[in-house]
Amino acid sequence: MYDFNVARPGSIDEAVKLLSDEDAQALGGGQTLIPTMKQRLAAPELLVSLTNIPEMQGVCRDGDTLSIGGATPHAVVARDAAAHFPGLAALAGQIGDPAVRNRGTLGGSLANNDPSACYPAAALGTGATIVTNTRRIASEDFFQGMFDTALDEGEIIVSVDFPIAEVSAYAKFAQPASRFALVGAFVARYADGVRVAITGASETGVFRWTEAEEALSQDFSHEALDGLSVDSDGMIGDIHGAPTYRAHLVSVMTRRAVAAAI
Amino acid sequence: MTVAKPLPHDSAALHVTGQARYVDDLPLPEGAVHLAFGTAPVAHGRLRSIDLTKVRAADGVLAVITAADLDHEIDVSPSPSPEPLLAGDTVQYVGQPVFLVIAESHLLARRAAALADYDIEELPAILSIEEAMEAGSRFEEGPRIYTRGDAAEAITTAPHSLTGSIEIGGQEHFYLEGQAAAALPQEAGDMLVYSSSQHPTEIQHKVAHALHLPMHAVRCEVRRMGGGFGGKESQGNSLAIACALAARLTGRPATMRYDRDDDMTITGKRHDFRIDYRVGFNGEGRIAGIEFLQLCRCGWSMDLSLPVADRAMLHADNAYFIPNMRVESHRLKTNTQSATAFRGFGGPQGMVGIERVLDHVAHAVRRDPLDVRRANYYRPLAGASGGDISEQAKTQTTHYHMPVEDFILHEMTERLVETSDYRARRAAVAEWNARNDVLKKGIALTPVKFGISFTLTHLNQAGALVHVYQDGSIHMNHGGTEMGQGLFQKVAQVAASRFGIGIERVKITATDTGKVPNTSATAASSGSDLNGMAVQAACDTIRERLAVFVAERAQARPEEVRFEGGKVLVGGEALSFDEVVRDAYMARVSLSSTGFYATPKIVWDRIKGEGRPFFYFAYGVAVTEVAIDTLTGENRILRTDILHDCGASLNPALDIGQIEGGYVQGAGWLTTEELVWDGKGRLRTHAPSTYKIPACSDRPDILNVALWDGANREETVYRSKAVGEPPLMLGISALMALSDAVASCGKAYPDLDAPATAEQVLRAVERVCT
Amino acid sequence: MESLSLTVNGKPVSAEVEGRTLLVQLLRETLGMTGTHVGCDTSQCGACLVHVNGDVVKACTMFAFEADGAEVTTIEGMADGDDLHPIQEAFRTHHGLQCGFCTPGMIMSAAALLKENPKPTEAEIRHHLEGNICRCTGYHNIVRAILAASGQPVPERTATATADA
Repeated sequence: MYDFNVARPGSIDEAVKLLSDEDAQALGGGQTLIPTMKQRLAAPELLVSLTNIPEMQGVCRDGDTLSIGGATPHAVVARDAAAHFPGLAALAGQIGDPAVRNRGTLGGSLANNDPSACYPAAALGTGATIVTNTRRIASEDFFQGMFDTALDEGEIIVSVDFPIAEVSAYAKFAQPASRFALVGAFVARYADGVRVAITGASETGVFRWTEAEEALSQDFSHEALDGLSVDSDGMIGDIHGAPTYRAHLVSVMTRRAVAAAI
Repeated sequence: MTVAKPLPHDSAALHVTGQARYVDDLPLPEGAVHLAFGTAPVAHGRLRSIDLTKVRAADGVLAVITAADLDHEIDVSPSPSPEPLLAGDTVQYVGQPVFLVIAESHLLARRAAALADYDIEELPAILSIEEAMEAGSRFEEGPRIYTRGDAAEAITTAPHSLTGSIEIGGQEHFYLEGQAAAALPQEAGDMLVYSSSQHPTEIQHKVAHALHLPMHAVRCEVRRMGGGFGGKESQGNSLAIACALAARLTGRPATMRYDRDDDMTITGKRHDFRIDYRVGFNGEGRIAGIEFLQLCRCGWSMDLSLPVADRAMLHADNAYFIPNMRVESHRLKTNTQSATAFRGFGGPQGMVGIERVLDHVAHAVRRDPLDVRRANYYRPLAGASGGDISEQAKTQTTHYHMPVEDFILHEMTERLVETSDYRARRAAVAEWNARNDVLKKGIALTPVKFGISFTLTHLNQAGALVHVYQDGSIHMNHGGTEMGQGLFQKVAQVAASRFGIGIERVKITATDTGKVPNTSATAASSGSDLNGMAVQAACDTIRERLAVFVAERAQARPEEVRFEGGKVLVGGEALSFDEVVRDAYMARVSLSSTGFYATPKIVWDRIKGEGRPFFYFAYGVAVTEVAIDTLTGENRILRTDILHDCGASLNPALDIGQIEGGYVQGAGWLTTEELVWDGKGRLRTHAPSTYKIPACSDRPDILNVALWDGANREETVYRSKAVGEPPLMLGISALMALSDAVASCGKAYPDLDAPATAEQVLRAVERVCT
Repeated sequence: MESLSLTVNGKPVSAEVEGRTLLVQLLRETLGMTGTHVGCDTSQCGACLVHVNGDVVKACTMFAFEADGAEVTTIEGMADGDDLHPIQEAFRTHHGLQCGFCTPGMIMSAAALLKENPKPTEAEIRHHLEGNICRCTGYHNIVRAILAASGQPVPERTATATADA
């Protein structure tokens, strides 16, 4: 790892100023950034730690919305969101392992948009709004392909507003060694319909399975998914699974998520 | 008696407080230098030149060494076939060390090592077993062949026959403590080496050779390894030699550890195999003959591949008497890591071959595989239940003509079938499968008969050094190394038992080539057998002198003297051991002795495939029940029952630890641990995030382990049996249970290869269902 | 260079380290506390677990500067003088270790679990230990040690089966 300077701002304004430098990089929990820097795949000159900013911490219910600070660790979400939004809390509680969950943050995960990460499925599956220091971005517009998001240079995820679902569940088929999602399906039912977001499968990252959403909006049961499948074209193929295997798992995990949600 | 007590590991108190020191924890003198290898980026190529300018100019770099800088070719191989420390003008695998960086810190060394510019003319690489066969790329002049009877004839004349093939993946050791070494220059050019190694004598030998020194000028010390499993039998040589060279060059202590990534990329793993078979059998599944073709992928250099492949041949029978057998073994050379020793050393692979045959035959004759296995077992011991009187005189031999005189699997199998409730559970599994479509279950019982001794006869020797200090405390040393298996504690228990004192009186000391010379590796499960006997010999020599001394004083006979409970009982009196020792010292009786042991009875011709390579066999049986998800291929082990033979156990707790750990490691090898190389010979699974080692939630929900209580027929140390490797092969029952579960989905035979990952299982289900 | 002030095992520590210095390097190299082990260099194995402000974290995946002002507890801080912590004692007597390399991380992980869940079930223990790799024991005795440390009954095991005559 190359050396760097360190800043630990206590406010969003301070952080934004520091991140306006093009060689600066935001540091959340470090659970992805630190391994990346160890492999020298990233070498920022300034690391701006975002974990000392009070406005970016915490889980807060406001009517039908659960608002979570961008620097909130997964373990805190798993604990504090459980009473309000169990499907989301359960997803957070399955990320990595206990030590990872004590450091990794919501904002860090979304900003990174790893195609095998879990949180993107929750954000897209709930139609969440990503609140940055300058604007509000709908989840539909936020995810722009593997490791790519709508965020500008230096833009910070201050918080994420999750519309609370009537029922929801996340079914994850974990890649056994890394525990990332080989395929993860987040299913959420709202008054105006059902959303299904799939992570781990597609080369373009998290996506909504609209065919399944339509069927489930008519009939929220796993039988409604009978006969439905996704094309293996465009699915990720790697040492952990062929595209056909992932495509197959998409239907299986979606059905399991529905069964768990009911 | 201290022996047979379930005492905790000797270093337990140090481990739980973090005080136990591994090589990387040793406080080194100021100014130590750190090393890293620059490694080859292609699988096969002519090294035209390397531009090391950026490497030399990098921060903190003191020196960079290539093969050209060495005054002679430095050999790191454990076998007669040499293997250079650094690649010369050809590179032979991705990850091969090409140059050595000496720098001020570990990170600076690694950083610099990545900066070389290679000019390599890429040559065609041989990567797979099939490519190697076609190209005739092999070690030895041709295949090794062992035969008994006429297998081809037997198969032709048998009522039924089958052919098949199984691919058996390799395995990464993943010792939690990676490879590490440190070298400290001494006076007069001598060198002291600390190494995380199972074979300090080889380290001493190789370092001496590298430095043009006689062995007496080099000392190697090993207090403990954070895991070995065979991966530190030869693979530590490179680091130790590199450190010694750097220490000699700079005059400073030198240390090296492989980053985990480098460790997985540079070092060898378990040999992967393909085993083809042809088998002839009758309607009951009784086998008349088998032809095995064992194709062993050895990697680019010989290392220990010959004895590994030999042992795979020697375990092609496992627990079964195969009247006509032909085993043809090809040792194939490929441009990949040099595969090396790994717990079982070829035995597990050979055993998977025969277990697959039995599973396949049982499927064909539609019988419970357990019954087919039993029908093919070696004959029971004469006098044991089920032995035919007229046949008792005739001991059966293995396919390499060794008599099987200690076969206890009939009794053990019967006992485990009972305690594991096998029959009822088999019926329950069948019922479940009839009623369930998505989740299917499978159950299997597999036996283990594993030969104990090094197949290279001269390695079956061990030495010890024991001092009884004048205050009665004891300093014990022997050639075995401690890698977690509890060897040190077991041998200390032997010493304590010989003197009749408490174990706390015995000081366990680091393995040290300066104390015991010419030792063999701690391998072949022989550690306790060999070193226990050597220590016993040393202790008995001293005890005999003490006995003679006190007997004379008490006008009794030495044979009447007893050492028990910290006392010496002679002539009706109970003297304190410490006082006897002190008096003996004053009377100028020597209180120190070496001990030595060489395994008797073994004689082995590895070319002819005849003789008695093993002193005895160690036995075990396991029943594993699994569940598979036919929609995803995901599988888990529900319950495992094990009955294992440790002879008269030296320490039941340590033995059970070996059994549990061995089983989980064996099951992991055959299910989730998948090594993947790409088309260019690069290892893609070189981190625990891509290579799946069993985690806590992977172990069976229910794990029942019992020790078979029966002494070793052979005169081993306290009639115990070796336990390091045999339990790994109990994991084969997991693979067979998965095969059983997949078979329940349809008619066709599953043909399940190893590792049976979720994707493999799913594919097998799809094959069987169509 | 960053100036740090933190507490390690109850004692105040000041250090000047580079930004990129990992917490595990601060502990092992600067402070000479080698009980926290580096097992995998890739944040997977859990051999480097320590407690930071009571939470279990991977010392290899946290910068030292992030622990500025924090209370850090390592394996060396678990015992009370010569008295082993109950979890340490349980690992020792229930044979929850073989080569010992993963042991400090296991104990720190177990301590975090028992603080949050004083009487965990076997399933909860196994789930919690997902981030701790052990290659030697097969985990059975580790789970038993943690059950014992929590004061819960430890399932018996049958030690021997008698050979038939």
